[in-house]
Amino acid sequence: MTAADAPPQPEPHPDSQPTPPLSGVPAGTVVEDEPRRRLHPLSPLLSGAKSIAVIIAALSWQTLSRVGVERFALVVAIGAVGVVIFSVIGWLNTGYHVVGRELRIQDGLLWRRNRAIPLDRLQAVELRRPLLAQLTGLAELRLEVVGGAKTEAPLAYLTVREAAALRERLLALAGRTPGAVDRAGAEPAAGPAATPAAERPLFRVSNRDLVVSQLLTPQAFLLPVGVAFVIMQFVLEGSWTFVGIASTVTAMAGVLLQPVRRVLQDWSFRLARDPDGRLAVRYGLLETRSQIVPLNRVQSIGVTWPLLWRAVDWLHMRLDIAGYAGPQSNDDKRSDRLLPVGDFAAARALVWEVLPGVDLATLETTTPPRRARWLHPFTLKTVGAGLTPEVFVTRSGLFTRELTMVPYARLQSVRVLRGPLQRLLGLATVYADTAGGRSGVARDRDLAEAWWLADQLSIRARHARGQPPATTAAAAVTAAPETAAPEEEDEAYWRRPQHP
Amino acid sequence: MTEPSAPAPAAVDPLEPWPDTVTWRSVSPKLITVELINRAIWVIVLLVALGIADASIDHWIWRAAMAVVLVFAAWRSIVTVRAVKAWGYSERDNDLLVRHGLVIRRLSIVPYARMQFVDVTAGPLERAFGLATVQLHTAAAASDAKIPGLPPEEASRLRDRLTALGEDRAEGL
Repeated sequence: MTAADAPPQPEPHPDSQPTPPLSGVPAGTVVEDEPRRRLHPLSPLLSGAKSIAVIIAALSWQTLSRVGVERFALVVAIGAVGVVIFSVIGWLNTGYHVVGRELRIQDGLLWRRNRAIPLDRLQAVELRRPLLAQLTGLAELRLEVVGGAKTEAPLAYLTVREAAALRERLLALAGRTPGAVDRAGAEPAAGPAATPAAERPLFRVSNRDLVVSQLLTPQAFLLPVGVAFVIMQFVLEGSWTFVGIASTVTAMAGVLLQPVRRVLQDWSFRLARDPDGRLAVRYGLLETRSQIVPLNRVQSIGVTWPLLWRAVDWLHMRLDIAGYAGPQSNDDKRSDRLLPVGDFAAARALVWEVLPGVDLATLETTTPPRRARWLHPFTLKTVGAGLTPEVFVTRSGLFTRELTMVPYARLQSVRVLRGPLQRLLGLATVYADTAGGRSGVARDRDLAEAWWLADQLSIRARHARGQPPATTAAAAVTAAPETAAPEEEDEAYWRRPQHP
Repeated sequence: MTEPSAPAPAAVDPLEPWPDTVTWRSVSPKLITVELINRAIWVIVLLVALGIADASIDHWIWRAAMAVVLVFAAWRSIVTVRAVKAWGYSERDNDLLVRHGLVIRRLSIVPYARMQFVDVTAGPLERAFGLATVQLHTAAAASDAKIPGLPPEEASRLRDRLTALGEDRAEGL
């Protein structure tokens, strides 16, 4: 299977110019063509292995006991051969290359797809290495761009060095946007710039804490009860069949899946700042993920205090980036961890790193007016919202407390909603939408305050985007409240720590 | 900070925040007709289905269901008239305001700078009455800035203006 076997492909950039593949690109002056590159030859086997696992899982224990081991193996083997052949054909049709400031990816067998990804729209790049890829020294490169319901550009698989070099190169190209914070300097690193030595480590989660934290989840608490119940049933009925036991074990594994998966995924969680000031997140045991997030792509930060963790005073933090699937997607698939488990001091230091100038300890919120207790009989004191100089803060939740920080610069739109009960009580809810899929929600504010909040949010967002304030009379009137009382009050309670 | 005392405007009309600065533009009253016809079609389909059921299996429940459908349709039609009047939009210097809803009243503030793309759509019924819907999309899925019932020339003016302003102040993310 050489390149010549590949079916003819629409090739806008002929492979005539042998540019050295991973050399540094001169700064955007010449639109450079380079040969289209293939993924690693082992890729079809690896992606095929995943499908085979799915086939086996679909066939399940019951099929195994019904048809016998030989037939089962035969079915799996036939499926495996088919999957691998299909993957090889897919691999032959897949290619990528960088053209100017775009990454172009071609794939698809029947429905051909030729996708161009403008790199200045790149949100984050993740290097994933599932178990098999780790054994074979390969890695998958995932690019996050806005607007996709899923990761739109997975390059599976490349060698680790190739993937790391490509990532550096893409990020260097992406960092040169005029609008972005240009800390990368004018010249992208020449050659493979995988220099993890220059990174500044920020934080590391101890694995012991991680395991303990996942034992402190409802699933882990309830498992002994479930096991006892099933064993009781077996003893009472006296039927010990292979299928029964195997199914029970599978069911138990299903219950424990989430905590165990969390432990495996977040194993040896490390955070660092790379030389260009971006956030580098690495974690995982069986599947290692290494994610690089430019700080100006952080849409919001969420902090959660689960009930069972409160005894040890731990919390969990997540990072929302545009492009990762919306809130409806599976929690485990998202790469949005900023801190899987940690104490308050660590969280405070991390927030300071990611959103400079935001101190978790001094984020002040106010509760809704007292008449809102009709809507929140028990939780009124836990609901709150506040404006700080850099972020919009909202909090909620009685048992699992949550806090969301939305930087003004990342606000997409502001909404004010008033349901019938809220209208009766003169209340309104203000939403601050971000591209990260989650919104900052200030629930049940006093109506006048809600209008004021919405106005403030849009004004502050405009200032944070770096636009000169509009000079017309209309804007001057709306801008007035900001320069008046609230600013002073902000400064009054705003104690800036030296460095947490 | 979030003290409402100092900065909050004194007199607040529920649907008109910042009354001095915002002049709301309403949507075309022809939208009422469109919505009513739309509903009438559904009601007729339902009634025909129930009538067939009544003819084949004689039971009082079908006639009761028909009555419920009619009452519900009549009530919704009255609401529609007010709901269409509740739609409003305003182009401010930096953002587009859209308000709508009767039971749940919504106000959206979408900065032009955050605009990703603008949709202008018109269904067959809307076209027959010379109406179009303009929708402004941002990178946040939750933003809803949709203005139905615009005359075509107003829709294209709005589209062109929004696109021009968006390009002017573009900073998508």
